[in-house]
Amino acid sequence: MTRNTKDQTFRGCLRQIFPFSWRDCAVCLGILAAAALLCALLRMIDTSDVYVALIFECAVVLVSRFTDGYLFGLLASVIGVVGVNWIFTYPYMQLNFTISGYPLTFLVMLAVSVVVGTLTTQIKQQEKLRAEAEKEKMRGNLLRAVSHDIRTPLTAIVGGIDAILKNGDQISPETRKNLLENMRDESNWLIGVVENLLSVTRMSGASNIKKELEAGEEVLSAAAMKFNRHYPAIEVCITAPDVLLMIPMDIILIEQVLINLMENAVQHGKTTTKIELRLKSANGLAVFEVADNGCGIQKELLPHLFDGYLTRDQEEISDQRRNMGIGLSVCMSIVQAHGGTMRARNRKKVGALLQFTLPLEENSHEYQREGSSD
Amino acid sequence: MNIKEKVLLIEDERTIRGFMQAILTANGYDVLMASTGAMADTMISSHCPDIIILDLGLPDMDGMTILRNVRKWSKVPILVVSARSYERDKVEALDAGADDYLTKPFGTEELLARIRAAVRHTRTPDGAAAVANSGVFTAGELTIDYGKHRVYIAGRDANLTQNEYKLVALLGLHAGKVLTYDYLIKELWGPSARSDNQILRVNMANIRRKIEKKPAQPAYIFTEAGVGYRMAEGD
Repeated sequence: MTRNTKDQTFRGCLRQIFPFSWRDCAVCLGILAAAALLCALLRMIDTSDVYVALIFECAVVLVSRFTDGYLFGLLASVIGVVGVNWIFTYPYMQLNFTISGYPLTFLVMLAVSVVVGTLTTQIKQQEKLRAEAEKEKMRGNLLRAVSHDIRTPLTAIVGGIDAILKNGDQISPETRKNLLENMRDESNWLIGVVENLLSVTRMSGASNIKKELEAGEEVLSAAAMKFNRHYPAIEVCITAPDVLLMIPMDIILIEQVLINLMENAVQHGKTTTKIELRLKSANGLAVFEVADNGCGIQKELLPHLFDGYLTRDQEEISDQRRNMGIGLSVCMSIVQAHGGTMRARNRKKVGALLQFTLPLEENSHEYQREGSSD
Repeated sequence: MNIKEKVLLIEDERTIRGFMQAILTANGYDVLMASTGAMADTMISSHCPDIIILDLGLPDMDGMTILRNVRKWSKVPILVVSARSYERDKVEALDAGADDYLTKPFGTEELLARIRAAVRHTRTPDGAAAVANSGVFTAGELTIDYGKHRVYIAGRDANLTQNEYKLVALLGLHAGKVLTYDYLIKELWGPSARSDNQILRVNMANIRRKIEKKPAQPAYIFTEAGVGYRMAEGD
């Protein structure tokens, strides 16, 4: 049994140093073929063979850079040396390693591939660590913001209940109704916080987000319907292109982004009565917009909107009771996880406009690979 | 005398039971309560409730087991309530025969509306009886003529293709109820169909362009994100 596990760890270790994938195999062969083709073409111009070894050296560097681990880099240097020797240098179409300099060329190519392989592996690991640190930072920010923000509504709810339970007789029916309505609002706000926390666990849980092709117009109408259940008085107007736009996304997460943006528009827009949801496609991107007719976003806040948390003093300057950081930072990380971008500005006449984009093509190859290796 | 509708509330949380009982009683329902799966089992067979509200997270057994057991012999409407918010749980419950699904936390208005809708469906068993009598389903300006296999919008033929008609007809038969993507795909393209949501999305987009005034803001066929489609209640 121990031997078995040892065997497995050994194999795992081997796989880490020499990971094999058909994609890398194709990359390796493609680059080598290109190098060979280039040599063949250059030979028509210049019959000397000085450049051949250099071109293959370059190919080896590229292969090491664009494949995982050392396997293909080493393979490429072996193939390169043999290829250079066999095809492109005198005597042509013959293997001859006795000519002086060849063993040295071979060693240099091997050394280069190992060095480049090590460097790229290091860079990739650093990137991964940085991404993880980023995630960790976001999680930390979120927890801080949530625990800070959850206290206020909870205090209001508990206080209100105590007031009614203990001094019920002295409170006028009008005040009682007011208290109860406040408590309901605070509770609803807490529900929103919980929904956002669920979105975050959904993202950090199962390795990575699961994207499917979804109809753009459906996520808009589904989000608007859910939003209107809580805010029936706000008019939501949806504009989507006539041609069906299929967008790769996790529809539940994008729905949450839209709901967050709409709720922000109401809670921070203060005078918002109407929200426009717009969808269009431009340059291979799906562009979503949430525009309101509220009071707009204060200039000082605009650059810090997506920081993850508006610090307490900023909050005091803005005189906004609620931290809009939670909802927005969740939106930001959801959009980023989809490979999109997000920005905010004030509209020309009235209100704020929040815009985010999602790529229409599934080209986040690197991202998915990273996820599967976790 | 007004006969009250009997609601069986299967829920283990005392506080939730308390507030739901208060609301339901105030709205004219006769409320029975069970706090465990075993209790629920006996009460369902002895009291024959008009509607069951079932919490999936019970202490002694999985709510899904109760759901499947009841569906073996009864068509009583079941409204599933759960704190699990992943849509695959919703899909699983709906596919196992639940009539509707509420995620905690929900508002009282929502609860009452869902109960009313679910009870209405028993009065027209299988949703099809009303349609079977007249052969027609109407909701607003939308008319589905099951005899002629045609869909009309404000009296005009919507010119649906065969698959589009099948989809609308199916949703009309179960108006008010969410039909899951998998269910719709199996009904339309057979049990061996690859569960490829994309064909369904494209068909639905075409249908909406033919029957809705604003396809992005539908009035008849709604999307439940990640779960399925729902036709508006008939008139």
